[in-house]
This record gives sequence, C-alpha cells and structure tokens, in this order.
Amino acid sequence: MARIDASPDPLPRDDPPPGPVDLTVVLCTFNGAPWLPDLLGSIAGQTRPPDELVVFDDASDDASVAIVEAFAATVPFEVRVQVNDVRLGSTRNFAAALAESRGRVIALADQDDLWYSHKLALLLWEFDRDPTISMVFSDADLIDESGQELGRRLWDTRLIGRTLRRHAVVPEDLFARRALTTGCTMAVRRRVIDAALPFPDLLDDPRAVMRHDRWLSLVAAAVGTVRALPDPLLGFRVHTAQETGVLVGSQLPRAMWSAARKVGRSTAAPAEHRVRAAQLQAAAARAELVGDFHEAATLRTIAEHQSQRALVGTPGHGPLAVLRSAAHGRYRGDPLSVLAAGADVARSLSPLHRRGDTAAANAAAAADEVAAS
Amino acid sequence: MTGLVDERRTNVLMVTDSLAVGGAEQVAVDLANTLDRDTYRIRFCATRAGGPLAARLADDVETIVLNRPTTWDVGGLLRFARLVNSTGTDIIHSHGRGTLRFVALARVLGLIRAKHVFHDHFGWLNLDRNAGLDLRVALQRGTDAYLGVDSRLCSWAVDTAGMDPRMTFLVRSGVDLSRFEAVEPIDLRERFRLRDDQVLMIMLANIRHPKDHPTLLRAVAELPVDLQDRLKVVVVGATGVDPAYQAGCEAMIVRLGIERCIEIYGRSEQPAGLLAAADAAVLSSKNETGPLVVLEYMASGLPFVATDTGEITHAVRGLGAGFVPPPRDHHALADALAALLRLTPEERAAMGQRGRELAESVFDQHLVTRGVEQIYELTLGLRDATDLVLPEALGSTTDARPRPVPA
Repeated sequence: MARIDASPDPLPRDDPPPGPVDLTVVLCTFNGAPWLPDLLGSIAGQTRPPDELVVFDDASDDASVAIVEAFAATVPFEVRVQVNDVRLGSTRNFAAALAESRGRVIALADQDDLWYSHKLALLLWEFDRDPTISMVFSDADLIDESGQELGRRLWDTRLIGRTLRRHAVVPEDLFARRALTTGCTMAVRRRVIDAALPFPDLLDDPRAVMRHDRWLSLVAAAVGTVRALPDPLLGFRVHTAQETGVLVGSQLPRAMWSAARKVGRSTAAPAEHRVRAAQLQAAAARAELVGDFHEAATLRTIAEHQSQRALVGTPGHGPLAVLRSAAHGRYRGDPLSVLAAGADVARSLSPLHRRGDTAAANAAAAADEVAAS
Repeated sequence: MTGLVDERRTNVLMVTDSLAVGGAEQVAVDLANTLDRDTYRIRFCATRAGGPLAARLADDVETIVLNRPTTWDVGGLLRFARLVNSTGTDIIHSHGRGTLRFVALARVLGLIRAKHVFHDHFGWLNLDRNAGLDLRVALQRGTDAYLGVDSRLCSWAVDTAGMDPRMTFLVRSGVDLSRFEAVEPIDLRERFRLRDDQVLMIMLANIRHPKDHPTLLRAVAELPVDLQDRLKVVVVGATGVDPAYQAGCEAMIVRLGIERCIEIYGRSEQPAGLLAAADAAVLSSKNETGPLVVLEYMASGLPFVATDTGEITHAVRGLGAGFVPPPRDHHALADALAALLRLTPEERAAMGQRGRELAESVFDQHLVTRGVEQIYELTLGLRDATDLVLPEALGSTTDARPRPVPA
C-alpha cells in the first residue's frame, strides 16, 4: 500500500539509523581449504553482502587461514580472522565466534557450502518484514563434492520436510523435541545471541551432544518467533569429511533399519533422555531470565517428559505409563513422535531395562539436574 | 426480532462470537456504528453470548444473540440461517476465525446465500501460520472477500490458505475519535504524588504474557538513575488472568529494584480518562496484529513508545508520532524510553499532536468504514475493482521479496 506521508514539520527523530554493522556472517573453519574458495566467493557475490565476516579457525593444519586472509584483501567489507591456539570443536568455536559478532542480524556459515546470491538479502528481508521474528532458517539443495546438484533437498533427507513445510513458523515445542535446523541455513537476531551465550557445558555431554545450531534454535524459539523458509538458499555439500552429514540414497533406509533394531536393546537411552532434560531446563532458565515465563514453562514441561522417558522400564514406568503419557499428548501427534512412543513401549518391555535400577536412575537424574542448574 | 427486509438499503449483518470486550469485537462495533445509514441497514449477531459492548452499539443497530453452546451446534446454525434469510441479508461481515468457520459452514451447506466478508484479527501469528483443511475450505468456498488487519495475515490468506488475491485487502483498524474528545482526566498525579518534573506514562495492557511486561521492566531498569527518577509507569489492565506470569513480573520488579518507577493500577472502565491524565504512553507487546491501543494513544494526543509488532506501529514508524523499537529487545526499548524522557514538554506535546493528526487523517473510523463500504460494493458486484479508491488505512501490500538472480 501507499506509504503514509511523513510530516513536513521538524519533529524529534523517532527512527534511529542502524549501527555500522547491520549484518554479520560468522564462519568457523577447520581444514576446509578444498572448499573455502567456493564458499567465500559465494559470500562475496551476495546481492546484499555482509557488513562484516567473522572467521574463527579451529587450529587448521592446511591453508584455510591463508585462503581467508587473501580473501579479506579483496572484499569491501571487514573480515576479522581469529585462529584458536587449541582445538575447541565446532560448537565451542561457534560460541567464541558468535561472541565476537557485532551485527543486528547474524548469519552462520559452514566452510564447505555454496551460497546462492540472494541468500542474505532474503534472510534480512524476512527479519525486516516481521520484527517479531528472532530466527530464520531455510532449506538447501544437496550438492556433491564437485558442486553438482544431487536433486534432493536437505530437509527431506532429515525426514523433516513435511513438518517444516506445514509450519511457516515453528513452535518451540518442536525444537525441544527434535533437531530441525542446520547452522549454515540459519540467521538470528542479536537478542538470540545475547540469550544463548555462554553455551552451557552440558551441550558437550557425550551421552546426548547438542550442537550449536540446535541450542540456538531452542533459545531463539523461546525468546521469539522462528520462521522456516522452504526456499533452498544454498548448496549443501555432501562429502566424506563433513562433520554434520546427511543420509542419501540407500544410506537412509539402512540407518532407519539399524535404529529400529536397536530399539529395546540399547541401554544408553535413559542417560540420553536425562541429559536432554537437563539441556531443556537450561534453555528454560535462559527464557525465564529475560522474562519469557510462558515459554520457559513450555520447555520445563517437555524437560519433565524427557525425565519420565529416562525412567521407562523401571518399576511404575511400564508400557501402560507410556501409553498414558501418549494419551495426554506428551509425544505430539506426528509420525516421528509416534515412533518415539513405540520405541518407549518396546523399551519398557525389554528385559534389559526392566532390570534397571530405579534408585541409580534417580540418582543420575538428580546429578544431571544439579549440572543443569 | 423486529427487523423486516429493507429493500431500499443494503442489509448488513455484523457477526462476532460475543460482545465481550476485545479487539475484534470493538472493531465490529465501531464498523456497525459508522456504516452509512442511507445505504446500509445494520444488524449485529453475537453467535455465542452478549456482553458489555452491546451498550456501545448505536440505537438503530438491532442486536441478536444466538447462544450457540458449541462450535458445531446444529440448532445455532439453523437459527443463524433463518436470521440471515428472513432479514434479506445481503452482506455478512464476520469477525474472528471461529465465526468464520460457523458462517462458512452455513454457506457451504447451502443454508444461506448472502455474500460473506471475513475480517481476520488473528493475533497468534508468532505461533501459528498454518492453514488446516477446515480453514482452507472456509476461505476458498465460504468467503467472498478477506479483510486482514495485518499485512502478514493477508500474505497468509493468499499464500497459505489459497484466498483470491483480488479479494484480499489489508484493512488497518480505525479508531472512534469521539471516545477521546472532551474526556475528564482522572488525576493520577495526585494519587501517586508525582512531582511536576516526573513523566507519567501509561501502559494499557492486561497482565498477560503476550504484552511482555518483563521487557519493559528490564528496559526501565537499564535507564540511567536520573531518568528513572523522572519516570512513573502506570500499568492499567486486568490482573489475575495469568497468575504465574503476574507473579514473575512482580518478582522481577523487586529483583530489578524499580519499585519506585512502576505502579500496577489494575482494570479500569475509563481508559480514556486515564490516558487524558498521562504525559505519554508505552506498549511492550511481543506480538500483536493491531494493536488498537496504539490508535487510542494517538487519539488521546499522547507521544508513545510501542514495540513494532503490528500493522499500526508499522504504518506510523518514522512519522514523528512515537518511538517504535523492535519487540523483546530491552536495550532498544530503554533507548526509546530515554529518548522520550529527554524531550522537552513542548516536544512531547508536538509528538502527541502529530499522533492525533495521523489518527484523524488516516485512522479515523469513518475513513476506514468508507473503504470497507467500497469492498462491500465490490463483493456485491456494484463496483468494479478498477474503481476502488481506498483510503490510506486500507490497501494491499507490495511484495518486494528478493528473488534468485538468473544465472
């Protein structure tokens, strides 16, 4: 519609101009020399280039740092490079890099991808169009090592395509239950970074690692609205050396069959649920700190559900308890949640778990709660 | 029911769930009161229950309450169809998605043939932008025109629910200016023993989580001490509706040490009188599609700080009527509060005056209603789409979405 006319009279200014850094790209590198030239070229070729690029290299052995430094000399925006003395791992490295970012909006980059030229412009447009949005993430096309399209989308290979295409905005309880995002498809508002940092130590718990992108999503959904864009905004490279892989071709059914066979035989599940519960409690604490009491309560409810799942198979937590919990809607109604409920029923019937020591489980849960707090 | 078929005028039936105090209901009442009486004969149907807003309806608006107890109440549906058909209703103007489903069902079942204009006030865009089968059918088969109070709603209607873009209109809410004229101020300065140099700032918002009082509290806590000393925020709105949230806010006030800056007034039946007594106004909502209250601030001639969450704040951003920081950002809200507190009384008055002028020139309910009347005429086939001359508060949004660059 037509813009409402501005007043011709001199009036106090009510729309302060944006700061010098409006849009930051945060990139973490580790031995990424084979792919970095493609990624950096695609960032330089954006129709809306970033105002700054923050690069944290995790002690690479190859030419990654030299490539970035050479790139810095050729672009009009500021490039800040930091090389870690010791290897932090990608989640800690991202935490450190995010802490150095200055933008109002921060987009995350992985070293091996190829961004489409309108990626940053579209992400920024979504933020400007709707001030309530705290995070935007998109889909991606899968590409092979040479950059050729594989004809598949990232969301579909993770079995989340149908869910996300039905949710233009993604409710926080979905993030609390499942990993839905990949860092390189995301951009967040500054307030998400403020609420998410410092990352809690229990993200690194080997029993249930939570990567930086899932933590950021969880916090973003608790302190704002998360928008899922079905547009593919980058080529997501599939190769053997990548840290966050995808399953393509026959790998997917094989992995699902393997997971199904493990149901009821794994003894790791209770510990994993306890750690997840503690991580959710940590996110709830962040939301509560900024006054998002309602969102914090939602996270605590799901954390409690995770704690209950940890006890499945112990006395009083048999198949009937699982079914009762499902009847109360604690598993949501989507297919993967139905599978989760089925897995818990199977686990509750498994002799391995029925031998479980309730007292030990409770003690472990209490220890995790302490760690979370 | 006293109304007979009025063949000289177009018969309009305004439909809401109830006549309780709420944004959608207020808009429906304001529209009913300002439609042109020479052209339109207006009835008002509350399908579930009456309420206090009935007293605000003009005397010539016939009110019917159907008392339907459930969403899919067959008896209520039949009573509604009888009402529509017996009064020769030409246009049904429904408000709210529950009412939409009810009216559209009657249309899809062939119980009524009147044209249906749906007015969408949905306020939970931050949580839900899906369109289930029921909504898609209701809009595509049971609705002739869609009026969204927010451009994001209009985008949703077209992109997600499949509404015809030619019959989808952005209709920003209007305000009945007469409610804010010649109002007797309620003396809050005396009640709270304010010094002359203290700025009395009102926040009209029930104590519920969408209003995001914690961000306001954190912003006040971040102000320099000299500005805190000059500020008194009075929160006016229903208490006790969300006890856990309210307890969290009260604990936060103590934890942040800002007790002297904040007063919880509670519910008031005279918001216009309270606004008339204030120096400025504030709204810290995390998500709104209106919000109507910002129009009330402008109608009262108050400079304001209101988070940029809805169509009204979006429309007046940068026009000198108030400060519009992003939502859920206490740093930005603190900056805006500080900027307002640092204005001289004359500058504050100029800003408030600019808001009042905008309310009169853009958001006056009579102007908005003239635009809605044009949409009625279009829906009835009495006007061509090319003849629409919509006022500034109405229109369609331009989509400048960045697209891929061709290889």
